Amino acid sequence: MTSWIDVSCILAVFLALTILATNRIVGMIKIFALQSFLLSLVPLFLHADAISGRDILLSGGTMVLKAVLVPTILFWAIRHISMRSEIKPIIGLGTSILCGAALIAVAFWVSLSLRLPGKLLSSLVLPCSLATMLLGFMTMVTRTRAITQVLGYLVIENGIFLFAISLYDAMPVLIEMGILLDIFVAVFIMAIVLNHINEEFERTRGSASRAKWGESS
Amino acid sequence: MLSMTFPVLIHGAMVCLLSPFFLGVIAKVKAFFSGKVGPSILQPYFDLAKLFRKKCVYSGTATWIFRAAPVVILAVMLVLSLMVPFGRFKAPVQFSGDILLAVSLLALSRFFMILAALDTGSSFEGMGASREAFFSCLSELALFMNFITLALLTKSISLSQMIGADIPMSWEGLEPAVFLVVASFFIVLLAENCRIPVDDPETHLELTMIHEVMILDHSGVDLAYMLYAAAMKLFIFSGILVSIIIPVRTGDPVMDMAIFLGGMTGLSVLVGIVESSMARLRLNRVRLLLLVSFALAFFGLIVTLWRA
Amino acid sequence: MEKILLGSWAVPFGEFSFKLDPLSLVFLIAITTLILCAGVYGFGYMRPYRGKKPLGMHAFFYLILALALVLIVTANNVILFLGAWEVMTLSTFFLIIFNDEKSPVRKAGFIYLIASHCATFFLFLMFFLMAHAAGSMDFDVMARSDFSPALAGTIFLLSLIGFGVKAGFLPTHIWLPYAHPEAPSHISAVLSGIVIKMGIYGICRVLWIMRVLPNWCGYVLLMIGVLSGIMGVLYALGQHELKKLLAYHSIENIGIIALGLGAGLLGRSHQVPFLAVLGFGGGLLHVLNHALFKGLLFLGAGSVIQKTHSGEMDHLGGLAKTLPVTSVLFMVGALSICGLPLFNGFIGEFIIYFGLFQGLLGLPLHGVIFCSLGILSLALMGALALACFSKVYGTIFLGKPRTGLKGSSHASLKEAGDLSGKSTAQESACREETSKWMLIPMMVLAGLCVWIGLVPRTVTGFTFFGGAYLAHVDLSTIPLEQVLMPLTMVIRMAFLFLALILGLIMIRRLLLGKAPMPIRETWSCGFAQVSSRFQYTSASFARLIVELMKNALLLRRHGGQVAGVFPGKTQLSSSVHDASEEMIFGPGLAFLNDFSKKLGHSRIRYTQIYLMYILLFLIFLLVWKLK
Repeated sequence: MTSWIDVSCILAVFLALTILATNRIVGMIKIFALQSFLLSLVPLFLHADAISGRDILLSGGTMVLKAVLVPTILFWAIRHISMRSEIKPIIGLGTSILCGAALIAVAFWVSLSLRLPGKLLSSLVLPCSLATMLLGFMTMVTRTRAITQVLGYLVIENGIFLFAISLYDAMPVLIEMGILLDIFVAVFIMAIVLNHINEEFERTRGSASRAKWGESS
Repeated sequence: MLSMTFPVLIHGAMVCLLSPFFLGVIAKVKAFFSGKVGPSILQPYFDLAKLFRKKCVYSGTATWIFRAAPVVILAVMLVLSLMVPFGRFKAPVQFSGDILLAVSLLALSRFFMILAALDTGSSFEGMGASREAFFSCLSELALFMNFITLALLTKSISLSQMIGADIPMSWEGLEPAVFLVVASFFIVLLAENCRIPVDDPETHLELTMIHEVMILDHSGVDLAYMLYAAAMKLFIFSGILVSIIIPVRTGDPVMDMAIFLGGMTGLSVLVGIVESSMARLRLNRVRLLLLVSFALAFFGLIVTLWRA
Repeated sequence: MEKILLGSWAVPFGEFSFKLDPLSLVFLIAITTLILCAGVYGFGYMRPYRGKKPLGMHAFFYLILALALVLIVTANNVILFLGAWEVMTLSTFFLIIFNDEKSPVRKAGFIYLIASHCATFFLFLMFFLMAHAAGSMDFDVMARSDFSPALAGTIFLLSLIGFGVKAGFLPTHIWLPYAHPEAPSHISAVLSGIVIKMGIYGICRVLWIMRVLPNWCGYVLLMIGVLSGIMGVLYALGQHELKKLLAYHSIENIGIIALGLGAGLLGRSHQVPFLAVLGFGGGLLHVLNHALFKGLLFLGAGSVIQKTHSGEMDHLGGLAKTLPVTSVLFMVGALSICGLPLFNGFIGEFIIYFGLFQGLLGLPLHGVIFCSLGILSLALMGALALACFSKVYGTIFLGKPRTGLKGSSHASLKEAGDLSGKSTAQESACREETSKWMLIPMMVLAGLCVWIGLVPRTVTGFTFFGGAYLAHVDLSTIPLEQVLMPLTMVIRMAFLFLALILGLIMIRRLLLGKAPMPIRETWSCGFAQVSSRFQYTSASFARLIVELMKNALLLRRHGGQVAGVFPGKTQLSSSVHDASEEMIFGPGLAFLNDFSKKLGHSRIRYTQIYLMYILLFLIFLLVWKLK
């Protein structure tokens, strides 16, 4: 149904804004899982009248990978480095919410002049995916902890996913699977790297400069 | 004129009779979540009746404003209830621009409440007054943003025409911007009616309260007026929200009224669930919540402009 | 719209021609009402100065000011207008520096004079451009001629600067917070209620003369209104001194008027005549309303300051008990300025909101964005004004007195009026209400506020007429019923509201019975022995909002450090500083100062420099005229 796609686009942006506005990592990961779950249902909405096996496979695969596995890895990473859940963003949270709202406006404004080949099922897809990407970027820019920057990157990936899925029907499943695997591997590596960074920090804990755990350079 | 008095009376009577009931529903839901039996659903009625029988005690520091505030606030709520549609039933008073009058009347009630709090010369009430003044800036912004979006959607600036009595909204032709307006308005409802996560209506600790602390010194009939006004405010806001969410019109007045009341009860249960599952936010987080509400409404406006 | 030509004048290009048109009508009504009320008030306010200061001169300048104001709004010729403008500036200067033995007063007066004259330079430039393009110094002739878009845009910008300084638009408003607190209260009322509006009148006159302005002019005016309004009220929230707060609040109201005028201009440029009439009409009505309620507030502030010899809000409190009538009148002013129903501020804001919503539905996309910005900023301004005035009223009139100020003459406190030490007479005077010379004008103004709020039909007639005149549309083609019908419903609701209030009071009386209610100490959760110093001060009340914007408001805190196990007395104070003063004008003027000092140190002697100037000018003339 067209309107369900609209709803999921809007909810994707809403959840991206909520990630920007939260300061608790556990909450952020849960919201991300919800967003991925929602976006994994989009292929089913696209072909609501003729759901093929391919769609179900794509949907299920995305759901398992992005809505279940990736959050689990992130939770494991957090528990392993046992970091505090309080994050202090660079600009105040209130300002980042207002900037997020402005970025949504920018995304819509830019989409006015973007002319795409092919027919989109819903006119809201392009601006909303662009908005999700920009909000993910904003999250990456304004946070100091590595985990939250990973989450920002994942939100960007969600935005790209939304756009790609809705645009080209004829895209082979393999490429989509490849993208998903990409993400999976990226998160896995990030988790490992973070782990190492934190192990390093643990050893140097007694030194004079008290570094904050989980902070990227 | 005569044809207008009948709907006016019905509307007013409905608000007066039913508003404490929904307070009771919320309290019952919260009790259920804490595993208690809780007070009966009709408890607010008994409370009000008890308070009406008591005398008032006034502070020596207070002036006429302290005595006038409960009256003004209750009168504002009564007038507002006449401008709000209930589901299919149009408001008895509707004209282009009545949202402006509604918001200004709310501001009037807020002004008097703040002054009555400052009138007692106590620092606790000053605290609540300061917070109330601050949060009202943010919630009015979000509210007006919602009104702008609804005005653009429905091309009119009268409350009844904006929210459901006339819009042919049904679940098929769902306008996605309405979701955002509903979410934003729900947050504003929580903020204006002093529910968790913005304010705790149960405790009486000054450090956690906004609304409760401002009415600390009122007693007897004045306190009854204030509580009644708070119940009516919740009813009015819930009525607006339910009218947006439930666009069903079966044509049969009894059925429509039942649907509306069912929707109101459902919304009260939802508010109770939200209250039971969240903790009250720190005060500087409350402003973030209101900013999120503003951002949602802003997003709704952008989507509406995009569609147009 | 008669033009009364009173014969030619010896000044070149000048003619004594007047015209009364719908635009000047609105301003004239505001001028006459406020000058009359403030004059009567001033008579009572100045009584204690009899014999000590030259009151006759003060009255002389006051009357000259009144004459100049009437001349300005009815002048139909550039030279007459500019001459009257100068007379207004000079007479206001002499009125402001009434207490000129104090150096802050002198400084305020000089800042006012210099700012006005800098602005007048732009005015000269603008008027000569207009007259050159139109070929005549007469406003009517200028209105009939056409201006190229580039020229129209330049003239508009020059008028914004030139008249904007007088009106108090945001970056150039710095003279306002100096002049208003230092002037005697009735002069502050006239300054804020009328003299500022002369800047608005100038802009309106320019808008009327230039019938076709480029589209961006409306957006610029609207943005200036938004900026002035929001920053004005935020600065007002951070002030501790009563008259300075009211001065910053005037800046906010000027922002609202500019918002209305900008919306009207948008309507005129985009050919939406309903929006044009509503915007201009709403702006003009707010001019009148603001004159009334700001005048009332300043006069009330004058009563408070006269009784307590201090404008510091944090030293006052509980004055509603000692000044009951003044407190009720001040409350009327506060309710009006916040735009609450039953009073005139609501009517003006309703019309502007209505116009902006019409613009929302009728304009193209850019217009929709700016109209929503306008609506949101009006809402924000209203909420912030509510916070500001509940702070003012609560701190001054309610609660308990914070210091033992009333009835004593502390020399260390800031004195707004110079009443020399007759302490016993003061003590007895402080127990009673202000004199009736001062109360009656306030009651008249308050009565007008309530009257316009409850019977707006009396003013909507001429304000919409003026709005249509400014918008160059015929009033009969506008569906005015669309806005008058809702106004009638609003009034009906207002009366219903009043009836409900009466009904609820009677019910309460019935329930409580005849016996008087017990009076006890404030309960506030059972806290005993509460000192009056525990109450919220104006700074603490506004703290939440001011700290949110502390970077824009340049909030500074002094003191408050508590050290040691048994700390001694400490003091904490916070102040809000004006960004345009500290970051734009302060450094800019300091730079100019340094530069001119350096110039002055040059080695060449003065006579040679002047000879060189004459030589250069001679060469220039020869080349220009002979080529």
